[in-house]
Amino acid sequence: MQKITSEDIEYIAMGSTVLGTGGGGDPYIGKLLAKEAIKEFGDVSLIKADELDDDALVVPIAAFGAPMILVEKLFSGDEFIKAFEMMESYLGRKIDAIMPIEAGGLNGVIPFSIAAQKQIPLVDADGMGRAFPRLEMTTFTLHGIPVSPITQADEKGNKNVYHTIDNTWGETLVGATTIQMGGSCAIGCYPMSGKQIKEAAIHGIVSYAKSLGKAILDAKYLNLNPLDSLIEKAEAIKLFTGKISNISVKTEGRWNKGVCEITGLNEHQNSLMELDFQNEFLMAKKDGKSVAITPDLIVLIDAENAQPITAETIQYGTRVVVLGMKAHKQWRTEKGIELAGPKKFGYKENYTPIEELNKNG
Amino acid sequence: MDKIYYKIGVDVGGTNTDAVLVSNENEILAKTKQTTSLDISSGIEKAIKKVISEGNIPIGEIKYIMLGTTHCTNALVERKELNKTGAIRIGLPASSAIPIMTDFPEDLKVILGKHNYLVHGGYEFDGRLISPLNEDEVKNFLLKMKGEVESLSITGVFSKTLPDQELQVSEWAKEVLGGDIKISCSHQVGGLGLLERENASILNSALKGVATKMVSAFKETIDKLGINAQLFIGQNDGTLMSLEQVQEFPVLTISSGPTNSIRGAGALSKISNGIVIDVGGTTSDGGVLVNYFPRESTQSAQIGGVRTNFRMPDVVAVGLGGGTIIRIENGNCKLGPDSVGYQLKEKGIAFGGTILTISDFFIAEEQLEIEGTKTPKNLKNNISIVVNLPYESILQKVKETIQFEIEKLVDKLKTDGKDIPVIACGGGAFLLPTKINGASKVLFPEHMEVANAFGACIAQISSEEEIVINTMQNNEKQELEKLLEKVKSNLLQKGALESSIDVLIKESIPLAYLPGAVKLKIKLCGDLLN
Repeated sequence: MQKITSEDIEYIAMGSTVLGTGGGGDPYIGKLLAKEAIKEFGDVSLIKADELDDDALVVPIAAFGAPMILVEKLFSGDEFIKAFEMMESYLGRKIDAIMPIEAGGLNGVIPFSIAAQKQIPLVDADGMGRAFPRLEMTTFTLHGIPVSPITQADEKGNKNVYHTIDNTWGETLVGATTIQMGGSCAIGCYPMSGKQIKEAAIHGIVSYAKSLGKAILDAKYLNLNPLDSLIEKAEAIKLFTGKISNISVKTEGRWNKGVCEITGLNEHQNSLMELDFQNEFLMAKKDGKSVAITPDLIVLIDAENAQPITAETIQYGTRVVVLGMKAHKQWRTEKGIELAGPKKFGYKENYTPIEELNKNG
Repeated sequence: MDKIYYKIGVDVGGTNTDAVLVSNENEILAKTKQTTSLDISSGIEKAIKKVISEGNIPIGEIKYIMLGTTHCTNALVERKELNKTGAIRIGLPASSAIPIMTDFPEDLKVILGKHNYLVHGGYEFDGRLISPLNEDEVKNFLLKMKGEVESLSITGVFSKTLPDQELQVSEWAKEVLGGDIKISCSHQVGGLGLLERENASILNSALKGVATKMVSAFKETIDKLGINAQLFIGQNDGTLMSLEQVQEFPVLTISSGPTNSIRGAGALSKISNGIVIDVGGTTSDGGVLVNYFPRESTQSAQIGGVRTNFRMPDVVAVGLGGGTIIRIENGNCKLGPDSVGYQLKEKGIAFGGTILTISDFFIAEEQLEIEGTKTPKNLKNNISIVVNLPYESILQKVKETIQFEIEKLVDKLKTDGKDIPVIACGGGAFLLPTKINGASKVLFPEHMEVANAFGACIAQISSEEEIVINTMQNNEKQELEKLLEKVKSNLLQKGALESSIDVLIKESIPLAYLPGAVKLKIKLCGDLLN
């Protein structure tokens, strides 16, 4: 068990932006929320999954909605507590600990605010090891754990409980009502036992996010290059260096599909990289050849200050470095690739691990 | 036939107040550098007097005077003369998780006051109400502020699309607090993103007193000189604001300085794309010129420690200026980052002082002339005595270090590997090398020392709007055209020449996870009417 302070939240928020791989919403809002709660209610206990009793009740609590809405119509804070309490009354027992559904983006930090208010521990684990755009894209689904019951609450006081026939329907139905709620809400989902968490979750991911954030933010005090220190900590592969030369975005259904073109600089002079994104970055191609494919992580970094850039804030002319990171081993199984691999997002390519795609330099 | 007229551009910096007199063809007829006075106005007065007498033109033919000033920036950074500001956010039951001014520096929170209130109201992205305004609730909070605040900021959820609730609260505020209360409505100050827009609106309210004082001092100065010209002040995007606008939106004057010098240097050298390095007394500020406008930074702009969503020019500074102090450590030469600044004429060796600065070398090399310097031969000797090394070897080291630092700066600013022109400007431009690795050429245009004042002179006026629409209810193309017409009529109202209007931004961006929701943004600019 370790105590998470307001200062730690800065590191975790930065690490969450890296793990957001361009999506997941900017953690800035989540960071303020968590820091306010810690200021008022005290530090949060972060516990290892192994510290949980096998029959403990653990529930991931998350913000659900459009990143642009979340920065304009801010949360009331209550919706998370309502989603939490609704789950307790629906299941008829107390929740012992909460956890992030995804360690990437906004949802990597928001659970700290609930843990502080409820004075319960937060489990150092998640269901994605990064950010993904859909609720069913979790390692919990890979282990056959149902997303339902899902509890949902908005800032106005509207509440819902869902029982869906499978995890994909959870995403579909909650997504539809969220738009009517004004584009954002809070959910509780995947209620699990301590035993299930131990088997199905990605362990240690919150501490990992914190260590990535530390690598970037503390580099300047240690006289290190923040980018190099991030690469070392994340065991990342430097895929490309260049500047953003074109961005095109179109919306299909609930998703922004886009391509960002990067013209090579330095060692990649005369090369072109295309980054495909659907909220998150999903595919990186160098001169037409794939060099990183989902579920492996593709991270776009501002070359000036080594800070990760989200897909919504990409700007023409920015000098960037593209990093690739290995997905958690659960995603690299046949079932994992089927749930969150390239075919799921409509790409023709087969998944090949990033280290194989880049083994010749 | 166009009547002949003149323009005067004035730039008030920390050290110098520069002015240029320009013809209606943008030709520089006279220029001057004066020391910035403590009261600001007497420095402006001196500078304007000087260019008028040097240009020898009739006062009646001066049509425009443009002022670039860091007055509001300094007031914020130094926390001076800020108004006690109350803030109302319209959005309950949404938005209460993050209180007003949450991420403000503590000292600023204390100064601005403790009257921050959340009230019911606000809109969804698609125009539905989150909740209606409650007149009693709003007026109760206004009564609590009565006598306690000098200005007020009002911010509503999705007010960029539907501003009517902000305007209603503003009406009630005038009723309760009296017509003199200074009010900022966020939809007129910033873009989408509630916290950043609210922050900008609060800073704007806090600066209103400072701005009013500055504007009336500027007006008085010009009146005293007997000039009857239209007056403008520079905005952060390189365009101009009327004095009325500056009093309404003072926060928009922040960071106009670098923009003016980048645009001025581009126009002086007649180069549309390149790197501009503005060398002052303390730093060299590098910026990138793209089609005669500065490249904007991708980072959210921090103003006085507060996060906003203003777009600022992307400027990289190195501690290298005319007054930069040179130290010799173990035979190695270290430049700055500190500077003697405006005390150059007291502390520099060339002026009989004891501190070695970059300027001393350039005076010794007869590449720089400043009143009151000793003869170069003595100076070389004196430098050699101070550093206890032969003059030639230390000169070599200083030049190498400057070369290295400037090349690093140029490399940082470049977006691709191609060599591009570097344009020098500012009072310390003499220290830049004539050859720079990575630069296709290095230009030292005539009048480069007053590029900032010239930049203020050639600035255009602009207008912009940003909204979210629901394309399931409205036609996207029609809405974009409607917005364009609205922005255009705003710009014409500000005094733009219709035939000169250019589209700077016209975009529609679909929003993730929200089928049908699209963000529209338009920005136009144009020349002032002749």
